[in-house]
Amino acid sequence: MTKARRIKDGIANAFTYLASSMTLIILVAIFAFVVIRGKGSLSLEMLTNNYWSKNYLVEWAGGDSGSFTRPEHLDETVVFSSKYGIGFSDEISHEKKRLIRVSYIAEDSIFNASTNATKGEGYGEVFTINVGDQIEKIEAVNETGTIVSMGTIFSDQAESLVMKMDTTSHLSSLYFKTPGGGIWGSLIATIQLIFISLLFALPLGIFAAIYLTEIARPNKFNQFIERCIEMLAGVPSIVFGLMGIVVLYPITAFFNVNGLSILLGGLTMAVVLLPVIIRSVQESLLVVPRDYRSASLSLGASQTQTIFKVILPSALPGILSAILLAVSRIIGESAALIYTMGTFINDAPRITQGGTTLAVHIWTVMSHEQPNFELASAISIIILILVLILNVSVKLFSKRLDRKLGI
Amino acid sequence: MKRLLSGLVALLVLVGCSAGGGETKPTDNEIKVYTRDGSSGTREAFESIIKLEALTSNSAETSSNGDMANQVSASPAGIGYVSLTTDFAANKLTPVSYEGVVPSVATVNDGTYKLARPFSYVTRAAGDFGSEDKEALVVAFLDYLVNSTEGRQIVLAAGGIVDVEQGKPWAELKVNHPIVEQDNSAIVLKTGGSTSVEKTLTAAIESFIPMAGNFKYEPNHTGSGDGFKRVLGGEKDGANAIDIGFASRSFKSEETVDAGLQSGVYAKDAVVVVVPESNTSVTSLTAAQLVEIFSGKAKTWGDVK
Repeated sequence: MTKARRIKDGIANAFTYLASSMTLIILVAIFAFVVIRGKGSLSLEMLTNNYWSKNYLVEWAGGDSGSFTRPEHLDETVVFSSKYGIGFSDEISHEKKRLIRVSYIAEDSIFNASTNATKGEGYGEVFTINVGDQIEKIEAVNETGTIVSMGTIFSDQAESLVMKMDTTSHLSSLYFKTPGGGIWGSLIATIQLIFISLLFALPLGIFAAIYLTEIARPNKFNQFIERCIEMLAGVPSIVFGLMGIVVLYPITAFFNVNGLSILLGGLTMAVVLLPVIIRSVQESLLVVPRDYRSASLSLGASQTQTIFKVILPSALPGILSAILLAVSRIIGESAALIYTMGTFINDAPRITQGGTTLAVHIWTVMSHEQPNFELASAISIIILILVLILNVSVKLFSKRLDRKLGI
Repeated sequence: MKRLLSGLVALLVLVGCSAGGGETKPTDNEIKVYTRDGSSGTREAFESIIKLEALTSNSAETSSNGDMANQVSASPAGIGYVSLTTDFAANKLTPVSYEGVVPSVATVNDGTYKLARPFSYVTRAAGDFGSEDKEALVVAFLDYLVNSTEGRQIVLAAGGIVDVEQGKPWAELKVNHPIVEQDNSAIVLKTGGSTSVEKTLTAAIESFIPMAGNFKYEPNHTGSGDGFKRVLGGEKDGANAIDIGFASRSFKSEETVDAGLQSGVYAKDAVVVVVPESNTSVTSLTAAQLVEIFSGKAKTWGDVK
């Protein structure tokens, strides 16, 4: 080892360390960033709540005030109305809005005896506010018979709300909301989209890969098909989105699915996924040893039998990794889906309606007038966890498969 | 040796990361311009009304209205712009008059304060809603949004500027709209267009839902340009079709809104130029002066003509 050689080697080694430590640092930085920004908003409620609040209007026939004593166990921050037996507390939602939440209702308070004032199903039946709901507007009448309005809409906070309530003689109506801001709908829509995309893309991709590796002769035309697939992999996803809305929309409309829908998004994603699936299935077919094919054919099996009974089972790990790649791609996709599924956050998504995946949900929260970094980061944490679970489970699964197949 | 090397490299990278992003401190009398991020409707309104062609590169972006207020108040030579709904005193800011008119709800409502933009709406053409019930519901909602005291209160609370005093009680208006007295849970009302109107519009619609038979609501707002297009223009029968389109500006002459069943303005939004309280020399600015400041032509307060 001469000195010059040692220096050269040292520099070369330093570069390899630099490159690998860079990736590690970047990954850790991303994780740290989203966890620090998002951990405040991350909660089980966020995961299971609907995004949209439900709005209710209830009224009272009498609604007269009574007198109540403040219960001992009530937290100090809760403001209690001794006239109507209800306690409120101030809160800032994770969308940075000021809210008045109900934190306590006395048993014989009139808030437990209101009726639904919305025409339609359940009109006139008993319907009451629950602890955790948000007070938007209360209409009441004071001693002199004038109407008094109060609530969040009139920039009240818990304290001023109770002060106003205590000047009234009876309440006439209450408009309240259930808590919202959750991502349950987007989670369901993501799963539905994954299912539909794979339903269309997997069979197409697998059979195309079989044709290209096993059956196709290496002539000009088949090479042209290969080139096309490679080109498809390089098309920006926003172009696929445009194609979806222009080319695939009439197809879904033909099946009576009007407007943007998860079905349309799934069909579009199927096209996006084709090159991904074809590539990785092809690679796994190529590594199946030649001897398998020869042995199967020499035992008298036809080519089709050989493909479906010998080669395809050995390529299973490859197909699994294709599914993993495809699912990661779906979870990460946004541009193509904004065009085909819309940006409306749907709490109860169906295949025939629009919806948002988790990634588009982030886009929607960030495109408001007041972008919400905290909520977006919290959703990012959930996406990262999902991808991690996927990775680990497929690794375990293909290991077991390999052992089973004796590779 | 290896461990030492990789440790060194990691340290170097970290130091490099943290050393980036340093800025030169401006001198005290040099104007520091604050602006909003590119997707902000407030920024779009401000720049289009004062007719600013290019923002100076020596400006800092803020991520929201509250962020803007914080940063301007903390910078002695700062200037920025916020929505009129901001609490100026709490943020230690002085609102600056525009063309000599003091910004207030009253001056915006009577039209003298010019740094304001309308929230306009337009509906589909009569008979093009798919059902008569839906058409009646759209008419009822717009009556609630534009004319009723309750609707105006909610728009005001959500940051739109309207004259609540001039509204009529919904109980009076309701008699013209028998549609609200029935179960409408099968109807889906779709809105789209401007993203700036979303806050006020969503608040109004959410309060209207329980008053009008629990109809369903789907907002899909992508920008003012799509408001007209998706109710009367090229996309009115496409996948993105909506019932009411919104724009955070007046409709252009090529947007023929007369074809719609109804169109109009339901509220206004005002932008206010602010300087920190400590800056007592600036009380009123004209559009030309603002362009000088925000384009970077005027470097110090002395340069502002």
